[in-house]
Order: sequence, then structure tokens, then C-alpha cells
Amino acid sequence: MPSVSMTVNGNAVGGDIEARTLLVDFIREHLRLTGTHVGCDTSQCGACVVHVDGTSVKSCTMLALQAEGCQVETIESLADGDTLHPMQEAFREHHGLQCGFCTPGMVMTAVAMAKENPNLTESDVRHGLEGNFCRCTGYQNIVESIIAGAKAMQG
Amino acid sequence: MNNVNIRDSVRRTEDIRFVSGQGTYIDDMNADGQLVGMFVRSPHAHAAINGFDKTDALALDGVVEVITGADWAKLGFGFIPSNSAVKENTDGTPIAVPERSCLAATRVRFVGEPVAMVIAETLDAAREARDLVEVDYAPLDAVTHPVKALEPGAPQLHNGVDGNLCVHWELGDGDATEAELEASDHVVALELHNNRVTAAPIEPRGTLAIPDMETGVTTIYQSTQNIHALRAAIAKILRLENDQLRHVAPDVGGGFGGKNSLYPEPVVTVYAARNLGRPVKWVNDRSESFLSDTHGRSQYTTVELGLDADGTFRALRTTTIGELGAYCGTVGAFTPTGGSARTQGGVYAFKAMHYRARAGFTNTAPLDPYRGAGRPEGSFQIERIVEKAARDLGFDPIELRRQNIMPKASLPLKTAMGLDVDCGDFLTVFEKTLAMSERAGFAARAAKSEENNKLRGFAIAPYLECTGGMPKEHAIVTFSKNGAAHLAVGSHSTGMGHETALCQILSAELGLDMDHISFTQADTDATPLGGGHGGSRGMELGGNAVRQTADEIVAVGKQIAAYQFECEVGMVDFEDGSFFQPGSNNTMSVGEAVSASFNPDALPDDLAPGCMNIGSTFERGVISIPNGCHAAEVEVDPDTGVIDVIGFWIVDDFGTIINPLLADGQVMGGVGQGLGQAILEQAVYDGDSGQLVTGTFLDYAMPRADDMPHMTLDYYEGSPTEKNPLGVKGAGEAGCCGAPPAIVNAVLDALKDHGVTHIEMPMTPEAVWRSIHLT
Ligand code: FES
Ligand code: FES
Repeated sequence: MPSVSMTVNGNAVGGDIEARTLLVDFIREHLRLTGTHVGCDTSQCGACVVHVDGTSVKSCTMLALQAEGCQVETIESLADGDTLHPMQEAFREHHGLQCGFCTPGMVMTAVAMAKENPNLTESDVRHGLEGNFCRCTGYQNIVESIIAGAKAMQG
Repeated sequence: MNNVNIRDSVRRTEDIRFVSGQGTYIDDMNADGQLVGMFVRSPHAHAAINGFDKTDALALDGVVEVITGADWAKLGFGFIPSNSAVKENTDGTPIAVPERSCLAATRVRFVGEPVAMVIAETLDAAREARDLVEVDYAPLDAVTHPVKALEPGAPQLHNGVDGNLCVHWELGDGDATEAELEASDHVVALELHNNRVTAAPIEPRGTLAIPDMETGVTTIYQSTQNIHALRAAIAKILRLENDQLRHVAPDVGGGFGGKNSLYPEPVVTVYAARNLGRPVKWVNDRSESFLSDTHGRSQYTTVELGLDADGTFRALRTTTIGELGAYCGTVGAFTPTGGSARTQGGVYAFKAMHYRARAGFTNTAPLDPYRGAGRPEGSFQIERIVEKAARDLGFDPIELRRQNIMPKASLPLKTAMGLDVDCGDFLTVFEKTLAMSERAGFAARAAKSEENNKLRGFAIAPYLECTGGMPKEHAIVTFSKNGAAHLAVGSHSTGMGHETALCQILSAELGLDMDHISFTQADTDATPLGGGHGGSRGMELGGNAVRQTADEIVAVGKQIAAYQFECEVGMVDFEDGSFFQPGSNNTMSVGEAVSASFNPDALPDDLAPGCMNIGSTFERGVISIPNGCHAAEVEVDPDTGVIDVIGFWIVDDFGTIINPLLADGQVMGGVGQGLGQAILEQAVYDGDSGQLVTGTFLDYAMPRADDMPHMTLDYYEGSPTEKNPLGVKGAGEAGCCGAPPAIVNAVLDALKDHGVTHIEMPMTPEAVWRSIHLT
């Protein structure tokens, strides 16, 4: 079995894995970081979004081996102890989630979006969420959360 | 101190774990020594099974057990039950409820039907073994269309079920309706299809069963919305006592009805765990979810509306064909019959109504409730026929509705469908929606659209629905000596936010700090009964159970206070978290009463320590009547057929609003699913092969953020219902009732100059384009 090593949420991690192991399975099953979710098997839903070297990636579309040497950030990395990240706080404030299953992917997508463009418009956000499904919210509060969260991240 | 009131937009407690990745969903759970289960599913829509061969699968490294349909049949367990509230046909004969085995042994009836379970040490081994189980199928002709299934000569699904017919049923006065239609100046008729869709919660279904070999109790963790009823059903099938099973739902990633039903997989998973003496976990992948989750809606309907020359409605007749899929689901025959019939006619006054349904079996996944379960179908039927009547007969669609809406003064009344409409002000709600929707600027906006070669349309759709679900609910409050309270309920949030809303009610009623209330739901060990989720019952049943329990706690607190104040109990009042005796300085906070409740010396003789720990069962008398109005403005590109829903306005009457932020969430989420049904979603089976064509998110069009308009919401709060103490009417399913007719009618309004009078849902670009250019 090939071995892999990478940095996840600031920690050096690695191990021997089957070559076919997806990054999402490495994160969930090997590292037991279960905040990253799996909602589909065709890379549509976005519940699995993480950051790889600062870019948002659907972790079900990537082999763990492809992340060799990369910096991976998952939803678990955002909060600082008990203090939520401004984007997490914005989702809570604006009721941007219901069942919460899509939420880690939404928040990770949102943080990447906001880093690229802090002054997001409604239309930017709606298009930026092309790869993320939410079945609960009708998206409006997610959009509001992201715009507010992006602002808060600047301040 | 974090005291809250009813109607505060309290931010959700559960969000802290959800936004930080700390939620615990079924696939996040693992048990020591756990095995992994996977199901072998039928690739055929209809086939006889001649035999199984599991030799190769069993020989694979890491495979522990393979249970085939034939093995299952030998175990002699029970069948999957169906508990339709409609049990008899019109002629009094029982409806057909064919036996459904958890694993098919001799015949499969839909693609995806489980025929065997493999259990292995690892997921990889289970996956490989699944492909090695050999099933000898002899394919049979299949029928996947609900109308064709009822035609003579159609392939027959079940021995003993003639013509694939499950149920024929009617409600209302057929003769009176016929007479009123005869007497009408105009009768307008429309045939329409309510498309087959699926709930598609983003979290797939799954179960982890952990047997305790010492106690004999198996703990079942399941992504479901109905733990008490399903525990009883699983126990019955496996011939166990209820108390041999504990059923718990961890965080559930959405349900919308799709997780209401009893499915085969959890039953076999529980059996496997008990039989092998090891925890067994099974989680569906998305492709399996599309094949094996229940689907919803699917009706082919003829609606006839009789009206006078001046536009006054006289009678409504609905004749519909629904479908059950391959077997009766948990609610089964009720959805296309009673579920659709009750709210026929919507907010309008009719002299007579008649509803007639037939529903049969098809070689497709079973259908069961999906958000609204019949009411969205009813709402679509009435609003489409009203719109058609207006167009055909030259009435203004807004005016025609206004003219026929039941006046407030006519309430309370029983509709011709027997629905008890106690209160509401449908006309005010309608006018309020209209006022919000910026009608004045429409002409200018339409002109602007035209300049861009686009077509703009508007429609308004009032709706009237009703609540449902199990009529009893239990809440238990347990205090610690330090005054912290623990609330356990049998109702169940799969995302709606009960952890916040129900604790908010308790906090408001008792004047307790929200931060000192902890919460448990969906655990058969925590409450003796529970109705879970379904029928918008969360606040109506769960909320009122909490309120009733709080009232009983206050009554005991008054006894404690009276004992300390040395006065009659009747002299003690309670307000804002304090017991007090008016006209005296005697006061006692809830916290003080709680600590006294643990001290035998502070209690009168008839109270025992712990007396403020109370559990109470609330029972609903009559279902309530949520209602409201949706309006949509759309722009259609005639060159591409693409619909852009530009504006959406909603006014809802849910009676008392507990938490507006959460109510908004329910409404907007429901509109999302309603929009999906109107223009995007359809579960499609190939007519010949019976294969599900829309088996992934690549083919099944889910609404995305840029499909959705900005929605403007308001509430009408002038008519809290007296049917329950909180005055709530249920908010969960309304969005699905209003949105489809509002959007569809708005699109048809945009296309009216092209002579387009009807397009079936989903109004895909292709369907819209064809209707413009090819008719
Ligand atoms: S799990 Fe759905 S996109 Fe990755
Ligand atoms: S909050 Fe449930 S899927 Fe988005």
C-alpha cells in the first residue's frame, strides 16, 4: 500500500492507504474528522468541500494521494476554540442552515469565495454556490449569511 | 440571564455544533467491532427469482455473512406494514395491501428492491461481495406508468390484486356535485399531471445496530424521523418485544417525509446485528437513495370547475389516478386519497365538491409522503383550474379569486370535504400578498422585458392546507437541584430547529434561562411515546406538549409556594418566572421552587421530592388549518424556454408564530422544493425497461442557489387557532403548497399571447420552448 503524508488543520498526518482512497474518505475514516460530509457519489452536492492549499475542493473528486504534501483545511479548523469563525457566526446569525448536513461544505465554499472577493454581491454568491446543494433552506439565508460573513471577515 | 419569549427570533442552539462540523449524523457513528452491511438490489423492474448463489461472496476474505431473500423467507419474519388511514374502498371492501418482504425471495418488482444483504469486516469487502452474490432472474414485463398500470392487459404485479388496483375511493357528495355542475353556466375542465419527485435529503439513509448480548437489548441508531412507530414496526417484524429495541435518531440531515417510512434495510440490519452478536452499520450511497428512497406526488388528474356567468363558483370535481409504486408504503394509500381530498377547493367557497381517486401498483419504488403528502397536489389542482377558468372565460384571475374566497364571516365552517376550517382571514391574506407584490410597477417591468425579447408573467396562488401526523405527543422536564432543566420530547426535528424552538417555549412559559435548558429528542428511552415528524406537527404537537408540561409544573410550583407562603394554593399567581401572592410580599422564583421540590421539609404532605419533574402527553383534538398566499413574477426567454423566477412574495397564517426566524426558514425551504417541482425535478422511469433514468444528481435536477428568487415574507397573525393552547397551525409544508401553482400560473401568464394554456410540470426549458414553438 502506498503511503501518504499531508498537513490537515495544521497537523502532519499520514499513513499507508489503498491507492484508491478518496481524500474525503481519508479525512473521515482515517483521521475521523467527520465534519466533512458525503452527500452524493457523482461530485454534485458539495457537502464534502475542503480547502487544499487554500483552494476549495470537493474532497470526493480527489484521491488522498493527490493531496501528498498539501495543506488541507476542513470545517473543524475554522473556529478558534469556542470562538466561531466570522463565516460560521454569520450562518448562525442569519439562519443559513437547518439540518446542517450541507453546512460544512457551504461554509468552506463561502470562506474561499470571501477570500477571493470580500465584497460579494447576491448574484456572485448565487453563482458561486453552483456546486453546493442545500435541500432545506431555499438558499436565501445562505446567501445572506455569506455576504454578511464576507464583510465580517474583513473587519 | 437569557430569558426568551414566544415570537422572539432566538438564534439556534444546535447551530454551534453544525457550523463547526461537530454534528453527529449516522455515518459519523461507529461502534467497536462493527461490521459493514450492504444490500444487493434488483437490476430488473420486474422479474421472477429462480435462485441465489452466495458461495463466491461468502468465500471472499472479510465477508462474515450473506443473507439472501431465500434465507430471509426461511426465517419466517413478518412483512413491512402499511398503515394507511384509508383502509376501505368506496364499496366497503378492504384496499389491497400486498405482502412486502424485507428481502425479495421469489420475485422483484422494482429496480433497487433489496434481494440480499452482505455483511463484512470492511466496506471494501462488502462492496466486492455485493457484486459476487449471484441471483438468477427471469425478467417479466413491467409497467411504470400509473395510468397504464390500471389498463386492461397491463403486466400484473401481485397475485390476488386484480388489475394492479390498490384502492378506489371517493369523498364528498357525487350527486350534489353533478347537479351543481349541470346547473352551472360554465364548466371548465383541465387534465394535469402532478409530477413524480423525491425528497432527496442531502444525507442518505443509514442504520447502526448495536446488540448488547447481556441485556438482549439492541440499540438502533437510524437516520429517520419516526423512531417510536418504527421501533414498534421493526419489533413486530422480527417478533421481538418493543423493549428489546432502543431506537435513537442522531442528527438527521433532512427528511421531508422521505425518512418517515419503514424501509427494509434497517430491519435486516437489526436482525444481522442480533444474529451475529456484533454491531452492524449500513449507509446508502446516493445512487441507492434514488432507487430505494420513497418517491412522492405522481397523480394524473382531471379537474372540473362549475361556475355561474358572473364567476361565482358552484362545484368542483376531481378525478385522479395516483400510484403506490411496487408496494404500499407506510402511509401508502392515504396520500392520493384522503391526503389529497381533504383540502380540495382551497380557500374558495363551493356548494358541492366531489373527489374520486384510484391508485395502483407500478414497477417503481414505493411512493409515500413527501412534504405535504397530498395537499400540494390538491392546491395545484384548484389553483390551476381557477387560472384556466379565468383565461378561458375572460375573467381577471385576481378578481375571480377575490370574488370566490371564503369570507371571514363564514367561518367557522365545514367544507364540502368535511374539513373543519375554524378561523383565518383568507381575503386579507390575499390582499396583503397582492399589495406586497408591487403590482403597480408590473406593466413597466413587462415592457422592459419585452424590449429584451423576454416575456413577463405574474400569478397569485392562495393555499389552504391542514396539519397531520400522530395526534399525541409527550414532553418530559427533569430538573437538577441547581435549577437546570432537561427537556425530552417525542417529536422530532430533522433540521427544523426544535432544539431551539421547544426550549424557547419552555423558557418563555417558566421564565427559565434558555442556557440552562438541555434537550433530548428521538430516543425511545427518553420518552414513553413520540410521534416524530410529519404533517407539520412539530409545534402543534411537540410545542403544545411542552406548554402543557410547563403548565403542570407551574401548578405544582404553586402548591410548593403556597406551602411556604402559608396560604391557599388558589391565592398564588405565577408570572415571569415568579410565584407570588398578590397583596403580600411573598414571592418565590422558579429556581427556588425547584430546589424546594427536592427538599422533603419544604413540601406539603401530598408532594414527594422531585415533584416538579413532570412528563405529560398532549393530545390534539382537531387538526389545524394553516393557510396563506404565494405570488410569483417570472420572466421567460422564448428563444430558449428558460424560466427566471424573479420575484416571490408570501404571506402565511400559521396562527401563533413561535420563532419567526425558524418559521421563515420553513417557508423558504418549502418554496425551494415547490420551485423544484414546478420547473426542475422529475423522477423518470423508462417505460420499457423500467430503469430509473434520473438515478443521480446529474439527471435529477435539484434547485440550486441561482434557480431561486429572492423571497419576501410576511405573516398574518390575526387568527391564532383555538384548536390548541399555543394557537399554532403548523408551518412545515406550506411552501410546497403555494409555490408550484404560483410559478406555473405565472409562466402561463407570460405565455398567454402565444396561446399557451397548459404545460405540465416540470416546466423545463424544452417543455416551455416546445409549447411556444410547436403548438
Ligand atoms: S460528496 Fe457530493 S460533491 Fe462530494
Ligand atoms: S441545511 Fe439541510 S441540506 Fe442544507
